[in-house]
Amino acid sequence: MKRRKVDVAALPAATARQIDDRFQVATPLRRMFNKVFPDHWSFLLGEIALYSFIVLLLTGTFIALFFDPSAKEVEYSGSYTPLKGVVMSQAYNTALNISFDVRGGLVMRQMHHWAALLFMAAIIVHMFRVFFTGAFRKPREANWIVGVSLFWLGFLEGFCGYGLPDDALSGTGLRIASAITLSIPVVGTWVTTSLFGGEFPGDVILDRMYIAHVLLVPAIILGLITVHMALLVKQKHTQWPGPGRTNHNVVGVRMFPGFAAKGGGFFMIVFSVIAFLGGLFQINPIWLFGPYKASVVSAASQPDWYVMFLDGSTRLMPAWELRWHMFGHGYTLPPILWPTVVLPGILTVLPLFYPFIEARFTRDKTAHHLLQRPRDVPTRSALGAMAITFYMVLFLSGGNDVIADKFNISLNATTWFGRIGILVLPPLAYYVTHRICLGLQQHDREVLVHGIETGILRRSVDGRFYEVHQPLAAADDHGHAELDYAGWVVPKKMNRVGALMPSVRGFFRPIEQPPGQPTEAPVSPAPDREEIGTGTRQR
Amino acid sequence: MFSRFGPARRPPSRLRRRLAAGARLVAALTLVGGLYTAFAPAAVAEDSSGLSPAAQQGKGYFDQTCASCHGSNAQGVPGKGPSLIGVGSAAVEFQVGSGRMPLAGQAAQAEKKKALYNLDQARDIGAYIEAVGGGPQIPEGDDLHSKGDAARGGELFRVNCAACHQFAAAGGALSSGKFAPAIAATDREIYGAMLSGPQNMPVFGDNQLTPQDKADIIAYIQNLRSDQDPGGWGIGRLGPVPEALVIFLVGLVALIFATLWIAGKS
Amino acid sequence: MSTHEPGADLDPGMTGFDLVREGARRDGVEIVHYAPKFPVPGTRRERRIERTIASMFLLAGAAATAFVVIYIVLPVGYSPGYNSHKWMTPLLGLTLGLTLLGIGMAIITWQKKLFPDEIAVQSRHDQIPNEAERTLTGATMLNMVEELGIKRRPLLRRAALAGLAPVGILAAAPIIGGLLKDPHHPDILFHTGFAGATKDNPIRLVRDDGSPIRPEEVSVGGQMTAYPGIPDGSSVKYADSSALLIRLRADDALTLQVNLHSRGNEGRMAGDLVAYSKICTHAGCPASLYEQQTNRLLCPCHQSQFLITNNAEPIFGPATRKLPMLPISVDDEGYVVAVSDYTEPVGPGFWERP
Repeated sequence: MKRRKVDVAALPAATARQIDDRFQVATPLRRMFNKVFPDHWSFLLGEIALYSFIVLLLTGTFIALFFDPSAKEVEYSGSYTPLKGVVMSQAYNTALNISFDVRGGLVMRQMHHWAALLFMAAIIVHMFRVFFTGAFRKPREANWIVGVSLFWLGFLEGFCGYGLPDDALSGTGLRIASAITLSIPVVGTWVTTSLFGGEFPGDVILDRMYIAHVLLVPAIILGLITVHMALLVKQKHTQWPGPGRTNHNVVGVRMFPGFAAKGGGFFMIVFSVIAFLGGLFQINPIWLFGPYKASVVSAASQPDWYVMFLDGSTRLMPAWELRWHMFGHGYTLPPILWPTVVLPGILTVLPLFYPFIEARFTRDKTAHHLLQRPRDVPTRSALGAMAITFYMVLFLSGGNDVIADKFNISLNATTWFGRIGILVLPPLAYYVTHRICLGLQQHDREVLVHGIETGILRRSVDGRFYEVHQPLAAADDHGHAELDYAGWVVPKKMNRVGALMPSVRGFFRPIEQPPGQPTEAPVSPAPDREEIGTGTRQR
Repeated sequence: MFSRFGPARRPPSRLRRRLAAGARLVAALTLVGGLYTAFAPAAVAEDSSGLSPAAQQGKGYFDQTCASCHGSNAQGVPGKGPSLIGVGSAAVEFQVGSGRMPLAGQAAQAEKKKALYNLDQARDIGAYIEAVGGGPQIPEGDDLHSKGDAARGGELFRVNCAACHQFAAAGGALSSGKFAPAIAATDREIYGAMLSGPQNMPVFGDNQLTPQDKADIIAYIQNLRSDQDPGGWGIGRLGPVPEALVIFLVGLVALIFATLWIAGKS
Repeated sequence: MSTHEPGADLDPGMTGFDLVREGARRDGVEIVHYAPKFPVPGTRRERRIERTIASMFLLAGAAATAFVVIYIVLPVGYSPGYNSHKWMTPLLGLTLGLTLLGIGMAIITWQKKLFPDEIAVQSRHDQIPNEAERTLTGATMLNMVEELGIKRRPLLRRAALAGLAPVGILAAAPIIGGLLKDPHHPDILFHTGFAGATKDNPIRLVRDDGSPIRPEEVSVGGQMTAYPGIPDGSSVKYADSSALLIRLRADDALTLQVNLHSRGNEGRMAGDLVAYSKICTHAGCPASLYEQQTNRLLCPCHQSQFLITNNAEPIFGPATRKLPMLPISVDDEGYVVAVSDYTEPVGPGFWERP
């Protein structure tokens, strides 16, 4: 029998055909390839969080191969001599081994920790972007809720990870966590003993946190990220207003090849920044903290940054405790309840419902796919600034002992600064932001009516000086143009309207366009199907 | 801000005026003390009978600089300076040798600064105080750590010292402007501090921490100081606070620049 | 959404990009602008960009090779001081970072500089609600309910409710039941490792190596962490037990002696020695930053401050309760002993705390 020749060049097409015969993927696949994504730097912030999460999975898997979350006591016999012979838990022992005796273990551990900090930081800035541009409005409320949930799950995941190595800092954090659960009214003591399997610290908490850290919480996070992405794909990305951009379309580049290449490249860059951080900046040096002992603590005991605001609120809380007597027994509501149970409760519920609260106040029931500039929604922007200020005061108070020590300020003074600041600064931030937004709005309108300030001063015949304005549209006799604000950047410099020389937006500053190439509007206003070729196609 | 073992902390500018006033006060006191010594030579000769040559030297410095606050016989002056009877040469060598004494001015606590007297002179004053009232002494020699076991010292350090001086001996805040300094000190200074409990530091006498315990602790601290961070730059070994700064100022800023580049038109 | 018959409607003359655009149109995407960056191939500028991208890939390869070499060559383990052990992590991070950065920048430069300029517009028509679809789906769902006949069959409805409700409890039971632990039996909240200590049967205070403590072993103006002298007394098994043993200076001891009765602490000192619980009454950190001149005790976690000379009453920060004082004495052999457990709960507050 004659041997059949395999045509290698036709192989991909043949394979594709075989696959489509069975699954009929041609249509959905092409639809995905052709999905259009708008292009703006602020749309990439959420991607940072996504990519950090992938790095977390990769590095975490490596660490897990060498980590044993056991509370069993062992004598350290690894290579770090300043702990030689010290009795410690197996968890701390293996964490030390990862740091010193596993090849490349330390860089993996540090990358894992930096990626966790980056994951949370990226979630926060992504959330700011979504908030200040109104991207959470109908129809995207559900995705906002998923996002807020992801923050709190990341918070929980990070806290468990922080506690796992069983070093002195982990244990101190756990100790405070136990105090927080103890403070819950009525069931606090039951919850605490149930979590710890008895008295703090017990010997099961590390195992429980481990399973939560490597299985339960990451699985939920992964599921919610999937939902987050699926909703994004279904609802399509929001876009900034601009020429040709409406509430009924998305203007940008298709997923393949342009957007996917950018995404893949950006993943590599996020990964590389984490690698640089993991190699060059030491994080969580557990060997310096020593093993956890209930009677040992260090100055500058702080949680990771995303928990620090709760530490701050706890530090600022005045010594107020409710005690009363009933049925022949005394009861207590400890002061730690308010800043660590009630406050996070409010901070969870309020953002979850914010889209609905705002819609209720603005009586807005329509779907929005165009973003708003923060200046155009002064009240929301001011509320956001207020929330950020509130958060920042708590965040800084969470490190007030280090700030006091390094900047030679009295520790008690920093506490009082925080206590007063938390009341005074947020309203101040609200007022200032609101005024700034209104001012910017007014300036936009001014430029639209009067034109751009050219910087050219003229003197009129009667001796008055005035500045020449360049109108943005055909002006009437008074030099006023009638232009509506389109919700997007109003040019305020002559260069932006093509004076001097044609310019292209570069990285830091406009780049001169190479001569001979005509300037073109960002979107050619041609919705009809006109012929545009690649230029290489044969006609 | 992150120099872990940097020189003595620089006072903030708002304190500068106070410090200047303090310096003038010290100068005036020195002058008064000097005049006193000049006009009362007989008294000095009388008191110094039976003192070793070093102690006699020390007494000279003491009368000149210290007596105005601590009293002419080191008995203390109410409201100005405590009695030095029984504090021993360890306290004197630590306080004077590190420049904490004479005091620069009224502050929450005395800070390490350029010493007025060199170590030999400080030891002379110490010998005088030792002769007047006795008290603990730092053992001979500059090397007090080689015989120590760093691992054991680490355990002692964490239970006794880390609470205030921080896990990496990088210092920490105490109440109302006081602080536990970063330990950038010689073996003798560390030993002297433990023995005498300067300012608000608790005393760790030889009964409580034996000389061997102290050697262990010093061995741990000096190993910590001379140890290169295995994980890259230690960012001050200050725990999560500088880590928070780094993730925002380095990590996130770098990535936001990356987003600007990626989304920018080419 | 397309009305085209499968495969029948394609103009056989369409090739290359025409097909791409036709496909996009069927997905509601109009490619309104598509122009190659370099209409004339092989210009100097194009070749320069190609070289730049190529060098980034090569840099990535070189850095990756360096990573592997460093990974194999540099020693693992710890050695004190400055040495090659300490360079492993920074160099691995640096080379890995360079590798990934090279790949990432190469891909993005490729995309930015060599990919065609493209502007595509996708319609959101599929995001507009369709009334007819709603009516059809709604009717289908109503029909499902109708078929079940829940309304007509009250017995089934009630039985299903009664039968299925406990199933939910069944799912929750093992989770709650397995974890549930009674905090009051044994009563861990009100007792520590010193439980059972009496005047006749005192428990010694020991260091963490288990050795007992004589009063003179605590320096004047000094402090020592002490644990109950029972098996495992200094381990985390008795996390709430540790005490801070302080020997006050004579005048401070006198001040405290005078203040003792105001908080019911009389007779709990042994000479100038006083022992307070080391566990902060706020969040349970060891409050152990003892300032021997001002006699304050500071907790480093939330900066609560306690005044030693006044029964360790809180004077600053979020703590609301004083640190419990451990009643101590000196036994016949001259060692410090506890003659009772702490007389109030140690550590952070909780609901049932009087």
